[in-house]
Amino acid sequence: MNAQIAAILTLDGIASGAIYVLIAIGFVLIFAVTRIIFVPFGDITAFTALTLASLENKHLPGTVGMVAVLAAMATLMEIFSLWRKGTLGRVPRALLFYLILPLIPAGVVWLTAGTLLPTALRILLTVAVILPIPPLLNRIVYQPIADATVLLLLIVSVALHFAMSGLGLLFFGPEGVRTQGFVDYTAIIAGTPVSGQAILILGSAIFFSFLLYLFFSFTLTGKALHATALNRTGARLMGIRPQQACTIAFLLGALLAAISGILIAPVNTIFYDSGFLIGLKSFVGAIIGGMVSFPVTAIGSMLVGILESFAAFLSSPFKDVIVFSILIPVLLWRSYTLVHAEDEDEE
Amino acid sequence: MRKLVFGASALAGLLLAGTAVQAQEITVGFVTSLSGPASSIGINYEKGMNAAYAYKADVGGVKIKLIKLDDGSDPSQATKNARKLVEQDKVDVMIGTSSAPGTNAMLTVANELKVPFIAVSPVSVPLPKEGHPWGISMVQTPPLMVKVIADRMKREGIKSVGYIGFSDSWGDLVYNGAKAAEQNGGPAVLTNERYARTDTSVTAQALKVVAAKPEGFLDGGSATQAALPLLELRKLGFKGPFFGTPSLLNRDFVRIGGKAAEGTQVSAGPVVVTSQLPNDHFSKKIGTAFHETFQKVNGGEADDGFSGYAFDGWVVFLEAAKTAMTKAKPGTPDFREALMEAIYSSKDVAGVHAVYNFTPKSYYGVDERSLVVVKLVDGKWVYQP
Amino acid sequence: MSRQTTLAVGALVLVVLFGAPLYLAPFTITLLNYIGVYALVALGLVLLTGNAGMVSFGQASFMGIAAYATGWTSAVMGYSPWLGLILALVATGLIAAILGAVTLRLGGHFLSLSTIAWGLAIYFSFGNIPGLGAFDGIPSLPPISIGNLALIESGQIFYLIWIALLLSMLAIHNLLDSRVGRALRALRGGNALVESLGINALRVRLATFVIAALCAALSGWLYAHMGRFVSPTPFDVTASIIALMMAMIGGAGYLLGAVIGAAIIVLLKNGIQDILPRIAPGASGQLEVVVFASLFILFLQRARNGIVPFIAQWIPEPHRERPPPADALPRQTQPAKGTALMQVEAVNRRFGGLIAVNDVSFEVHAGEILALIGPNGAGKTTMFNLITGALTPSGGRIVFAGKDITKSGACDIASSGIARTFQHVKLRPKMTLIDNVLLGTYGRTKSGFIRSALRLDRAEEARSRHEAMRQLDRVGLGDRPYELAGNLPLGNQRVLEIARALAADPVLLVLDEPAAGLRRQEKLALAELLRTLRAEGLTILLVEHDMEFVMGLVDRIVVMEFGCKLCEGDPDTVRTDTRVQEAYLGGVA
Repeated sequence: MNAQIAAILTLDGIASGAIYVLIAIGFVLIFAVTRIIFVPFGDITAFTALTLASLENKHLPGTVGMVAVLAAMATLMEIFSLWRKGTLGRVPRALLFYLILPLIPAGVVWLTAGTLLPTALRILLTVAVILPIPPLLNRIVYQPIADATVLLLLIVSVALHFAMSGLGLLFFGPEGVRTQGFVDYTAIIAGTPVSGQAILILGSAIFFSFLLYLFFSFTLTGKALHATALNRTGARLMGIRPQQACTIAFLLGALLAAISGILIAPVNTIFYDSGFLIGLKSFVGAIIGGMVSFPVTAIGSMLVGILESFAAFLSSPFKDVIVFSILIPVLLWRSYTLVHAEDEDEE
Repeated sequence: MRKLVFGASALAGLLLAGTAVQAQEITVGFVTSLSGPASSIGINYEKGMNAAYAYKADVGGVKIKLIKLDDGSDPSQATKNARKLVEQDKVDVMIGTSSAPGTNAMLTVANELKVPFIAVSPVSVPLPKEGHPWGISMVQTPPLMVKVIADRMKREGIKSVGYIGFSDSWGDLVYNGAKAAEQNGGPAVLTNERYARTDTSVTAQALKVVAAKPEGFLDGGSATQAALPLLELRKLGFKGPFFGTPSLLNRDFVRIGGKAAEGTQVSAGPVVVTSQLPNDHFSKKIGTAFHETFQKVNGGEADDGFSGYAFDGWVVFLEAAKTAMTKAKPGTPDFREALMEAIYSSKDVAGVHAVYNFTPKSYYGVDERSLVVVKLVDGKWVYQP
Repeated sequence: MSRQTTLAVGALVLVVLFGAPLYLAPFTITLLNYIGVYALVALGLVLLTGNAGMVSFGQASFMGIAAYATGWTSAVMGYSPWLGLILALVATGLIAAILGAVTLRLGGHFLSLSTIAWGLAIYFSFGNIPGLGAFDGIPSLPPISIGNLALIESGQIFYLIWIALLLSMLAIHNLLDSRVGRALRALRGGNALVESLGINALRVRLATFVIAALCAALSGWLYAHMGRFVSPTPFDVTASIIALMMAMIGGAGYLLGAVIGAAIIVLLKNGIQDILPRIAPGASGQLEVVVFASLFILFLQRARNGIVPFIAQWIPEPHRERPPPADALPRQTQPAKGTALMQVEAVNRRFGGLIAVNDVSFEVHAGEILALIGPNGAGKTTMFNLITGALTPSGGRIVFAGKDITKSGACDIASSGIARTFQHVKLRPKMTLIDNVLLGTYGRTKSGFIRSALRLDRAEEARSRHEAMRQLDRVGLGDRPYELAGNLPLGNQRVLEIARALAADPVLLVLDEPAAGLRRQEKLALAELLRTLRAEGLTILLVEHDMEFVMGLVDRIVVMEFGCKLCEGDPDTVRTDTRVQEAYLGGVA
């Protein structure tokens, strides 16, 4: 291995790592606020790429159908629970949030299917279609068991991932897709070719992480969310509604997943089930951050990307073995350094 | 105590399952992967089988019943499906499945329960020491696929190739085939790099290939994702020609591979270039019929090689069933035995891929006629005589 | 229900089960075989997750190690599958022991996540070892033979699978109802209590982990020779998760949950495969997994404890006899009254910059009741935790019965004769009163995992039960030993903790605010009990808030304030000490 190969590998690793950073931050965000380890996160990323590719090929993306089905289910569940609580007066509001808002972008896509829109508009529409999916899933799947243990939520998440990948196959078919690159530019830095796409990915990861930081530090909603993450009961006492916080966390997570999906679409072939491994590797990054710290998560995800790249060069068949094996020393290190309150779950 | 009572009632519930069916028709069980990682191939098999069933659904007036099951790309589900088909549905013959491990698993069941099994994927189960095996495989053997393309490389003066393949059994098969060809004077294989279908990058593997400086490159991937190494190699400035196996024959491979994949040569069953074949080619007539039926049933072009295997499996089965019908009644062990014998005794059965001659000495029944070389020119596969 | 009915139903179940190949269709038997094989993996999870509270997403990889071990032994090397079984168990056990030793220190969901990590790593390794057939797997495994009979047909291996399953269930049932089984069940809910009882939590966890892995190994061995084919895919993380689903759907706390969960998932999968093509032709393959996952989610939303407890509520409670009298367990000899039992010498403890305990020294004499009192934040509880080993002192020395225990852990301290209770009651609410008290006898008894599983522990068990009943009677809870501890009011929970501590036959009993939350009547009874214990020669150290309770009971008092010792002496001296009045009593007394 010479210096140039090392440079190329590092760059490649940073580009993958940047994608993992976005997803891992989403993991941490959702976990901190809701205690849910949202395993289908990678699926959302994959669906974004698939949706974008469908739009590019002038097909009606399967996500439209998915959003419609989810919105209908969420609305019915919401109305049913309102009816049981005897607060039917809030039905119009439920209809607005669970049915009309999610269906607007889906409707737009449905109406414009078959015409090739400008790239920027395509990306915007894709994000808009994807955004409602995680919050709707939250309403349908997680809200009825919001008080369950982390472990039960984790198992539900895993089951949800299976359902999502099945739906992905149904809606998108088994073939992989890859979209056209946004930039067709390659810089030569110190004799090493750096693709414009990689620069775009890294730039976006930094930009959106920074934006998120601003959101948490300077907006009221962000602070409220942060408060909920730190202390749920306390936040409730301060008048922050946990359900609302959950929805916002899922929306933000969805945004991150959608962005990473958009970024990854031109650099790699994405299948309906590609999300799982992408998600798991990001997850390794999130665990390095202890599921709490955003900066450590970002560094950890970068490390995973770079490690993966070098491991693939050294021994490609054992690449994944290496990536997942580093989790164990990391977890051990975490367990000795993190002072976590003893988890006395007396059932 | 209450655990026991409960256990008893649970058991009683279990006992309700399972009924036997006595067949008045020939029953065929078909297993393929409609979900999971192998489904991108498995769905093609299903379409091929749809075409086959529409092509002919009876043998001498006796109706054929076709039962389709999904194995979810999981060998243990394939085993279970095979047992279900034999034990519950009493099938006369099984056809399946999309992944090599799943197919091996089904063949094990077929050998054990003595039911003819027509594999549409490569198999690697050792032949039984006594008696004949109960399965055949329709495909060209992976060594043959690689040999045909290796011969072409030799003809073009290529002395060494780099290799990147899937980290699964397919990647193993192509690599072993290339190594075998190397032993017989084919090009030297300089690298053995692997990647997973869902990997986001093969940069590292491609770097290794470039560093080894081969004259050409052999692609051991399959379907869409096989384009990934080609894209990466061209990006890293690799100039040599690309070679591959029939698993690259896929619409999305062409679309995604784009400019990088242009000029790639692969060995392929003749079915993918039926319209370009000379009129006296064995597969011209049946191939044309296949393409027409496929179009009618599935509403799209058959531009892959896989659907043809399923179709050919059906053709071989029809041919053998004609003979077997004269010897025994469908649904009986005798019929199954007769069917297997008939498969072995049928000579020169022309299918869309090959001319088949099966013997109990091998699972495979094809020769070099079953493969032609095609080249990707302007996004179309062009027959290279 | 009486014992006769139980036996009759059990016999009937066995007859119905083992006659199955005679009257059921072959494919139903095949399904039963799969149910049996998966139930074995799920059984391991019932032990590991449902009882010991550790969630593993990696059981299928243990199954895989065993399947590959036997595949290699029998198909590649050509030896007997029985040798394969031995190798499978040894290899799986060893790997599990190593993984466990490394990862079991992790708590909660971190442990579960690490299981995903090594589960994936092991799975990816299978496909990349050329000697094991790489991704193609190992074909043509020989069938298992018993004598000259090769178990080829479903109806033959059926017996082997279900006998293996039933024997494993019996062994685990025995195990759970034993000394180590109770320790294992107590793990669920944290280490503090377990360690304070002299149980080495890590060792019990490790043993449990290995046993669960061995269940998976047995299952993998049977699976390999049932399908006669081994490849990586059936042992991926998905398979592990499905095993977990089985345990959870059936009811992860119950042995039958494993069987019922496995049955439901296998039959449901089969049923969906039959029904879906009729409802949605063309899309059935894709929908199968969706329907399956959705049903599972719905299930977890509606009945998350699983099916067994859901149905068990309709079946009448069994009548359980009070344990018969037996020989008493051997007792410690109590030290002579008045000798120095424990010396606390200039002990201090810092948390970062905060000094919680500052150079505190005192002595505990054998046979006395000593109270440690002080206002909130005086450092009493920290002192308490230092003595019992929950915390380690930053400086100073603690000597107990002539032995330096300054650096010892809670487990060792408990073994040397100190039993404690907790300020926030720590019981196992889902265990019965007698089981909770039996936990106390752990240090006085010896039966290990193997003896317990084989029921060789019954004589010792009878003596333990007799002892536990004696302690329950003594604190006034002897009338309902099989009540769940969680159903008791707080006051009774406190005395239950004392009963548990007494069952350990301690030399020194350390009580953390025993009177908190008790009603007046209960306090009087408690004081009476403590007096009796003192009369029997037991030494008692208590941290207490309730002055009235303390003053009438104890021999001596140590007063702490701001982490330092303020004074010590008999109750009257302390009561009249002006510093104490200022600091603590605020002049009320």
